[in-house]
Amino acid sequence: MDFELTPEEKAFQKEIHEFLDEHCNEHVVAETLSLQGAGPYSKELLRKMGAQRLLAPRWPVEYGGRNLSAMCEVIKVDEITSHHAPFPLDGVEIGNSLLMVGSEEQKKKFLPGVASGEIDIALGYTEPDAGSDVASVQLYAEDRGDHFVLNGQKIYNSEAHVCEYHWLLTRTDRNAEKKHRGLSMFIVDLESPGITIRPLITSGGLRTNEVFYEDVKVPRENLVGEKNGGWKVIMSALYGGVAGGGMATGTKNVIKKLIKYALEEKQDLDENQWIPEIMADLWVKTHVAEITGMRATALGVLGVTNQQYGGGGAPSRLLASESRRVLYNTAMQILGPYSQLSKGSKYALFDGEILKEYLDAPRLTIVHGSVEIQKLNLARAMGLPRR
Amino acid sequence: MDPRLSEEEEMVRRSALDFLTEKCPKTLVREMEKDEKGYSPELWKEIADLGWIGLVFPEKYGGGGMDFVSLAVLLEEMGRACFPGPFLYTVLLGGLPILDLGSEEQKQEYLPDIISGKTIFTMALTEPIGGYTAASIKVKATESGGDYIINGTKLFVPAASIADYMLCIARTDDDIEKGITIFIVDAKSPGVGITVLDTVAKDKLGEVVFDKVKVPAKNILGKLNLGWGEVQKIIDRAAIAKCCESLGGMQAVLDMTIPYVKERIQFDVPVGVFQAVQHHCVYMLIEVEGARASTYEAAWRVSTGRPYSIEAAMTKAWVSDGYNRVVALGTQAHGGVSIMEDHDLPLYFRRAKAAELAFGDARLHRKTVASELGFEVA
Repeated sequence: MDFELTPEEKAFQKEIHEFLDEHCNEHVVAETLSLQGAGPYSKELLRKMGAQRLLAPRWPVEYGGRNLSAMCEVIKVDEITSHHAPFPLDGVEIGNSLLMVGSEEQKKKFLPGVASGEIDIALGYTEPDAGSDVASVQLYAEDRGDHFVLNGQKIYNSEAHVCEYHWLLTRTDRNAEKKHRGLSMFIVDLESPGITIRPLITSGGLRTNEVFYEDVKVPRENLVGEKNGGWKVIMSALYGGVAGGGMATGTKNVIKKLIKYALEEKQDLDENQWIPEIMADLWVKTHVAEITGMRATALGVLGVTNQQYGGGGAPSRLLASESRRVLYNTAMQILGPYSQLSKGSKYALFDGEILKEYLDAPRLTIVHGSVEIQKLNLARAMGLPRR
Repeated sequence: MDPRLSEEEEMVRRSALDFLTEKCPKTLVREMEKDEKGYSPELWKEIADLGWIGLVFPEKYGGGGMDFVSLAVLLEEMGRACFPGPFLYTVLLGGLPILDLGSEEQKQEYLPDIISGKTIFTMALTEPIGGYTAASIKVKATESGGDYIINGTKLFVPAASIADYMLCIARTDDDIEKGITIFIVDAKSPGVGITVLDTVAKDKLGEVVFDKVKVPAKNILGKLNLGWGEVQKIIDRAAIAKCCESLGGMQAVLDMTIPYVKERIQFDVPVGVFQAVQHHCVYMLIEVEGARASTYEAAWRVSTGRPYSIEAAMTKAWVSDGYNRVVALGTQAHGGVSIMEDHDLPLYFRRAKAAELAFGDARLHRKTVASELGFEVA
C-alpha cells in the first residue's frame, strides 16, 4: 500500500505548477473569473501549455500527449483550477472519447490541435427538451450520402462561442424502437454556414449559449463512431474517465483564505465561536473527498475495475460536488453582512469574489450530469434493480 | 500511489474473514454481550495462536513483524464481525506503547505474554469529567520511598474487569502538560477497585478506583512527567485503529443492505427500484468509500513512520459521524425488520455510537483540526 505520488507524477506536478506560476498572469485570471469563456490571454496561455505538452498528459505522444497516467490528468486539473487558468477544457475530455471510438483520421485531425491548445471543442448534448434525459435529443441529422444536413437547437453549450468545433449529439433515426438507438455523434466545424450562436447568461454571470442549426452541411467523415451508434460514444465519455474527484488545492486555498480573514477580523469569540468548528468540518470533508478521489484514480490507473459495487470514481465526485456546494454557503456566513457586496462596491471583501462564486455554485451540482443523475448512474453500477 | 492491499495484507484479510465467519458468528457476539467477561478466553487463545495479537510486534518478542496496515486490515475484519474482546486495547493501549516507550527490560517482561495471549492490557485514561485533554487528568501519583501511590478515579476504561495490566495516566506534577506520567499497573494490586458499566455496546467499559495503589518506580513507562505527548500519540493511533474497526462495521452494514433491497418486494417490485432507497444506498457507498480512503491513508502513514496526528483527527471526525450515518441509512433502507432486537443491524447501531465516543468524538477531532488550521480553540 502506498499513498505517495510516483516520482513521475511529482515531477509533472512540479513542472505544471511552476509553469502556471510563471505564465498564468493576472489577465488570464481576470478572464477566467469573468466567466465569459476563454479570452485572448487564456487562449495564448493554452497554446503555451500545449507547446509544453501540458494539456493532455494522458494522451499518446503521437497525438501531442505524454503517455502519462490518469493521475497526471487529475494533477493538471488541480493546478489549472487552483491557478484560475482557463477551465473546463472540454476538448481534452472529448479527445478521451475520440481516442476510444474515433477513426484514425479523426484522431489525427483533431487530437494534436486540442493538445497543442490551437483548437477547443464544445460539448453539444443538451437541448430544451433533452437535459438529464439526454437520449431525447431531437436535433436532426439527415443522411445525404457523403454528407448530413443538420437542423435543430442546442442549449447551455458553454464555451461554444470561443471553440472551433462542436461535439454534437444528433438524432439520425426518429423511428428507432428505443430512442437511444437512433442517435449519432458528430464533430462539427462551428464556422459552418447555418450555425447561429446566441448568448445565455446564468444567474451567476456565466456566459453560456444556445446554438441553432439551420440546414448545416456536415461531411460524413465527421461522424464519430457508427451512424445510430451515438449512445455508445456518449457512454465512452461517461465511463471512459477513470479519474475520481481528485485533488482539491483550489478548495483548500479558499478555506485558508477564509480562515485568515476569520483570524484577523473575527476574534470576537462569543459571537463567532461556531467558525472554527465549521471550518474544520469543511477541511475534513475536503480532505476525505480528495483522498477518496485520488484513491479511486490510482486504482483506475492500476487497472482495478472491480472497485466495490462498481462505484469507481463516482462516490468521490459526488463527495467533491457536495462539499463545494457547502463551501461557498459557509463562506457567505462567515463574511456576514459584507457577503452581499458585489465586486466594485464600497466595503466589498475579497473584491466580491466570494459572492460571485456563491452565485455560480448551483451550477456545479447541475452541469456535466446533475448529482441526481450521477446518483442514478451509481445506483445502476451498484446493481440496484431497474423498474 | 498504490492503494491496493499487498499480497500479504490480502492474505491477512482472507484468513481473518474466514476465521471470524466460522468462529465469531453473531450468536457468539450476542452471547458475549451478556457474558460477564464479555469475551471468550478460548477464542482469545486461538487468535493468539494464529499470531494475530503479535502481528505487528518484532519477531524477537514472538511477534509477526508485520506493518500497521496489516493490523488495520485485521481490525477492519474484526469490526465487520463485531469481534468481542480486548484486542484493540491490548495491542494499541498496551503492547504498542510498551514497544515504543518501554525499556528493554519492560519489553522482555510484558511483550511475550501479551503476544501469546497470556495477558490482557488496557489504558486507564479518561476520568469522570470526561475528555481527552491533559487538564482533565486529575488522578494523582505521589512519590513515596521509591514507589508511587496512585489515588483517584478513572472512568470508561475499556476491558477494565478483564485486564491483567493497565497503563494508568496519572498526574505527577501540577504543570498541566509536563506533569503527567504513564504507569504500568498490575490490575490485581491492592486498592484497585473495578466496576463494570452497562454501556450501549455492552463492551464492558469500567470504572477504576485507585485507592492508595502502590506502584514501583520501575513501572513508569517512558519519562517521568513527560507522558502527555506520548499519550496523545497513543490516542491518535488508537483512534485510527478504531476507524479501521468502524470501517469494517460500515462495510458490513452496506453489504447487508444492498442484497436486501434487491430482494425485498413491496408494491410488487424490489424496493431497490425506488430512487429514495437508491439514494440511501448511494450515500452509504459514499460514506464507506470516504472512510476507507481516509482510514487506510492514515494507517499507511503510521506504517511508514510519517506524522499522522492531523490525519487521525480528520479521519476520526469523518468516521465517527459516518458510521452512524451509514447505520441510519441502512436501517431506513431495511425498514421495520432492522429495528428488531434479533436483527444484526442493531448490533452495528449500538457499536457505531460506542465507536464515535471512543478516543474522541467528531466534535473533539474537529477542534484538533481547527487548531491545526490556526484557530485558538478552548
